[in-house]
Amino acid sequence: MRPVAYPVLARRRLCPDVFLIELDAPGLAQRVKPGQFLNIRVGDGPDPLLRRPLSVCDADEGRVRLAFRVVGRGTALLARTRTGDRLDVLGPLGRPAPAPRNRNVLLVGGGIGIAPLLFTARRLATGNRVHAVLGARTREQLILRREFRALGTKPILTTDDGSLGFPGPVIEPAADAAAKLDRPLVFTCGPKPMLRALVRRLDPVPVWGFIEERMGCGTGICYCCALPRKGGGWVRFCADGPVVLLNEVAW
Amino acid sequence: MKMSVRLAGLEFASPVLAASGTWEFGLRFADVSNQLGGIVTKGITLEPRAGNPPPRIAECPGGIINSVGLENPGLATFVGHFLPRIGRLRCRVIVNVAGSRPGEYAELVERLAHPRVDAFELNVSCPNVREGGTAFGASPAAVERITRLCRRRTKKPLIVKLTANFVDPAETARAAEAGGADAVTVLNTLFGLALGPEGRPFLGGRTGGVSGPCLKPFALYCVDRVAPAIGIPVVACGGVMNGADAADFLSAGARLVQVGSASLADPQAPGRVARELATFCRARRLRDWDDLVGRTRREN
Ligand SMILES: Cc1cc2nc3c(=O)[nH]c(=O)nc-3n(C[C@H](O)[C@H](O)[C@H](O)COP(=O)(O)OP(=O)(O)OC[C@H]3O[C@@H](n4cnc5c(N)ncnc54)[C@H](O)[C@@H]3O)c2cc1C
Ligand SMILES: Cc1cc2nc3c(=O)[nH]c(=O)nc-3n(C[C@H](O)[C@H](O)[C@H](O)COP(=O)(O)O)c2cc1C
Ligand code: FES
Repeated sequence: MRPVAYPVLARRRLCPDVFLIELDAPGLAQRVKPGQFLNIRVGDGPDPLLRRPLSVCDADEGRVRLAFRVVGRGTALLARTRTGDRLDVLGPLGRPAPAPRNRNVLLVGGGIGIAPLLFTARRLATGNRVHAVLGARTREQLILRREFRALGTKPILTTDDGSLGFPGPVIEPAADAAAKLDRPLVFTCGPKPMLRALVRRLDPVPVWGFIEERMGCGTGICYCCALPRKGGGWVRFCADGPVVLLNEVAW
Repeated sequence: MKMSVRLAGLEFASPVLAASGTWEFGLRFADVSNQLGGIVTKGITLEPRAGNPPPRIAECPGGIINSVGLENPGLATFVGHFLPRIGRLRCRVIVNVAGSRPGEYAELVERLAHPRVDAFELNVSCPNVREGGTAFGASPAAVERITRLCRRRTKKPLIVKLTANFVDPAETARAAEAGGADAVTVLNTLFGLALGPEGRPFLGGRTGGVSGPCLKPFALYCVDRVAPAIGIPVVACGGVMNGADAADFLSAGARLVQVGSASLADPQAPGRVARELATFCRARRLRDWDDLVGRTRREN
């Protein structure tokens, strides 16, 4: 596997601290599967040394889209990317998420965690019934609403400040939705406290989580990513994830 | 010029190796492993080791700080599961071993008497374990003893991987030579501390080891210091990102050079370093390695 420099077709701001970058990457768009991620070089020297892992937010018609929140130096550098630049990408990395057929799929996204669920929704829309509960702090932060609707899912929305949809976290609306579905297959991405609360609330329903913790290489060679497994040991989530059965991790 | 180089009676197709702990067992990018002189495996201990809790990695300007803590599957799984596949690589295989007692190193090298293990790297320098590790590496007496115990149990080449954490590596290099080492690797990571925003240690192992380009000037200094102090070859390691870095280490007196952290940023890095070093030598019309190795001292 070699890094490839893909042309940037567009860069837009989804809300004050979240950006979307669109890459012209036909081969990648065809190959990549929901749950996989790309490891992106930021800056152009050896500093920062590590790439930044980003989930694929969407991929179709030869284009790959990434959505990211600016939280530190690397993502701030990435936000400076302009149309016409090239982005140095290693990937797709990680294992694809399970791809069910003929199931009730429930997607639960919080904040920037909404991003990878859009691609999941797109790929699972044919052959499954896809439901979504999406939450954020404010109406403004509730990204990609239109894109979810365009796929035919009518997401249930929540905001912490009540500015849109149900006031409060995603947990209760997600539990209500799950209770109405026959053998739901749940995928979730969002802040760690949200993931934890969701697993506890939906127990014993299996919940697949997109893990976005700190990693090193992203390719399985450095052992810097480690998620504690119930009963001991670790999940090397860059290679054996990043989508893992949250019921099996002691997190 | 021929790119192959000899060390301890072994021929390496290139002086460039993949360093321990940043290349797992050489199998995920086997095509790259096969472009190298050899690979050094992740450190192996007698029993499996869980390593430290996350987070295990932080960044600093020009480098990283890791606290993996020698997580590895242990000797039995290494021999039963990984070694047969590692054996199919077309490059030299150096197994990095670590013990919490001197006798463990000797037991490891004895039990790794496998035809596809070409040499051992004795890791007396891991900063991320409580017993052994840097504690051994900081003591010339312990380094000599561990090397001697291993020397009695194997005929394969022994490369002792040194630390510079609170010790002069020239002294421990001499101790390794006295104990019967065939070469020394200079350098393992340096102690480092990363703090989170609340002033608490950020890494799960509390402290870690610094590596990457920020380590290069110090590693180069150490190679320049160690090479003339001993009669056995030096394998350099620390911050190599490209062919020019590799050439610097050979100039300073190293015979082989390892690529570590660079592989985390790009798994093609070790192969690229090997190619760039070859280009460097061709462009300067070098006749053999002796034109390059050690020229820093010769020319002064
Ligand atoms: C598989 C995967 C997929 C991901 N997908 C996405 C995605 O689609 N969109 C997205 O927005 N994000 C995603 N992430 C998260 C994203 O990779 C990180 O937000 C990003 O790498 C942060 O880089 P940075 O340089 O901006 O932040 P950094 O500067 O590296 O800091 C990140 C955080 O660590 C903290 N920190 C504290 N102490 C230290 C220290 N000593 N050293 C380093 N850091 C410290 C910082 O305060 C900060 O909050 C994903 C992560 C993974 C693993
Ligand atoms: C994530 C990581 C894991 C490492 N694991 C080992 C190990 O198991 N045994 C060992 O001898 N050195 C280990 N090292 C040290 C490297 O082999 C190397 O000596 C050091 O990183 C300096 O070289 P570099 O700057 O090229 O990375 C590790 C380094 C890193 C970054
Ligand atoms: S990040 Fe290197 S092994 Fe997972």
